[in-house]
Amino acid sequence: MGIIDIWTVAILRPMLNALLWLYTLLGGQFWLAIVIFTVVVRVAMTPLMLPQQRSAKKMQEIQPKLQELQKKYAKDREKLAQEQMKLYREAGVSPLGGCLPMLIQFPIWIGLYQSIIQALGHQPLQLLALAGNIYGFLDGIWSQVPLNRYFLGMDLSLTPQQMGGLTFALPILVAFTAWLQSRMTTLPGGGDGQAASMNQSMTLMMPLMFGFFSLNFSTGLSFYFVVSNVIGIVTQGFISGWSGLKFWEGLSFSNLLGGGAQANAQKSSDKQVKTAPAGSEKGSTSGGKKRKKKRRRKR
Amino acid sequence: MRQRSRLVGVAAVLLLLAFVLSACAGATPVAENWPGLTVSGGSVYVISGTPQQVYIVDAETGTQQRTFVPDGEHQGALYWSPVAVGGDLAFVGFADSAIGSAGLYAFDPATAQQRWNTPAEDLILPAPAYAEGVVYFGDSSGHVYAVDAETGTMLPGWPFQAGEAIWAAPLPVGNRLYVASMDHNIYSLDAESGQEIWHTELGGAVAASPVMDDAAGILYVGAFDGHLYAIQADSGELLEGFDFRADNWIWSEVLLADGRVYVTALDGRLYALDPSTGQVISPYPFDAGASQGSSEMIRAMPVQAADNIVIATESGRVIAVQNAQQAWLWPSGIPENSIYTTPVVVDDTIYVALRDGTVVTLNAETGVQGWTFPSPGSE
Repeated sequence: MGIIDIWTVAILRPMLNALLWLYTLLGGQFWLAIVIFTVVVRVAMTPLMLPQQRSAKKMQEIQPKLQELQKKYAKDREKLAQEQMKLYREAGVSPLGGCLPMLIQFPIWIGLYQSIIQALGHQPLQLLALAGNIYGFLDGIWSQVPLNRYFLGMDLSLTPQQMGGLTFALPILVAFTAWLQSRMTTLPGGGDGQAASMNQSMTLMMPLMFGFFSLNFSTGLSFYFVVSNVIGIVTQGFISGWSGLKFWEGLSFSNLLGGGAQANAQKSSDKQVKTAPAGSEKGSTSGGKKRKKKRRRKR
Repeated sequence: MRQRSRLVGVAAVLLLLAFVLSACAGATPVAENWPGLTVSGGSVYVISGTPQQVYIVDAETGTQQRTFVPDGEHQGALYWSPVAVGGDLAFVGFADSAIGSAGLYAFDPATAQQRWNTPAEDLILPAPAYAEGVVYFGDSSGHVYAVDAETGTMLPGWPFQAGEAIWAAPLPVGNRLYVASMDHNIYSLDAESGQEIWHTELGGAVAASPVMDDAAGILYVGAFDGHLYAIQADSGELLEGFDFRADNWIWSEVLLADGRVYVTALDGRLYALDPSTGQVISPYPFDAGASQGSSEMIRAMPVQAADNIVIATESGRVIAVQNAQQAWLWPSGIPENSIYTTPVVVDDTIYVALRDGTVVTLNAETGVQGWTFPSPGSE
């Protein structure tokens, strides 16, 4: 059995038949089948996603301590990295925790894309492929082929580029919801300044990339992305707060690059500064005035 | 400054990756159909080549005689119907996705010169049907057209509108036209006026043309629900007591021969049925997949050649069956390409079109391969 056969048996056919089964249950509405399928996938992914989302919240909480470390070891990068990793360990934060859920979702995206194209096939060879992949016990679906592939006038099997018009709003929605979710879950400060900068770049670039993908993928897959992102936003909101949704507050280029999680972190930090007793900072003078260093002239 | 340049670099890489991956997604439509094959008047008409054209090949020798492609430059994905021949003209449905228009084209087979074309709403996938100076054809928007064969002028009262795409060639019989649609219906129309006489809803989409048993006045047609239906041609009523269901969709026309109804299905089997009841006649069915030790689908219609019933499978095999036993098999080795097109039998020669437009000929009695016309551009 080749790789393609394994993929077909292990990934494509189960997803395709799940969609078809939902389609028959939901009165022949494929868009609804995609929504329910997305919810099921997200629920199944919860054991993987929840730790990552909680990790994001913890990262927000330790932001003040991270900033302290960065000030303290500004000139010793190696020591800074060591202390940061120690802090992550103590706080139970994994800077790379966001990678695993995404890696696992890749085959889901690919499998779902193929499933949607096949399920909504409306050309002869597409339907032949569909016939070969339907499970025997789902023969009730035979009488419904070809499936109803329309939702709000959109053909879920076609791309926005093929349909044009208002369907171009879908890639924009994909990018926007992906960016919102990214703002709420971005893990700032994963290492030195360069890594943090890279992390922040990804916060903007990944949603843009998905939006661009969506231009050339079926609208059914874009639909999945939007629903999945919304579920992610809601879940993260319950875990770590809703400040990240207020994207219009203090909108700036740096804010675009992951200001949401930082906004939550900044709020926590501000609270700590306001409640800190006077004189608690090392080296401060009464009244908070700083003593200027006198420079001695060389003779 | 260094961080900004890194940001620009990351952005460029990601956007390039997005562009490449989205290009791999295949947003441009491609022809999702198999090549048409027609044999008439000593010539083989096959849709073949890269880019696709109608190739007119000598049926005896396999040498190319002429090619036909509609006038104008064509750059998009091309969609073709099989060729139909009637009177002194040949007819073919054609669409260029780049131009965005579809139509039926008539050309002179002797010179490959275009005579006329008439537009259609959508892709024309099934073969047109010629009868008494009129050409009937259906398209993927569900329209059924009737045009004068000499001029291409639409007859009054046409087109007829079905609910879904027409993927099967219309069947003209006398003053009636029978049309199968993906909307699950079989329509009986007045062949002259296009008026509906009756329609019968079946249990699934219908992609195969009905076949008429003239003596009994019964239409046989298979559907995607796996059932074969027997319909009384005058009234549209289902034949009482007739019941047959395969283990997958029926996509091909039936063969009426030897007092039986032969039908193939996507379950990879050839069935022989009692025409009155639909009961499977022993020792059938013949399982093409089991005989080859692999799963099979059969899209093409069974044909009669010599004393055998010949089927063509998705894996690319042509199998001659006699009494549910394999009489011969082609090729003996690993097949080159899938076969979805129904083979054509003329005298003692079977013409087979592979998925890529290659045409091979087989001896009807022995299965020995004769000439091969390779798909131009695929060698």
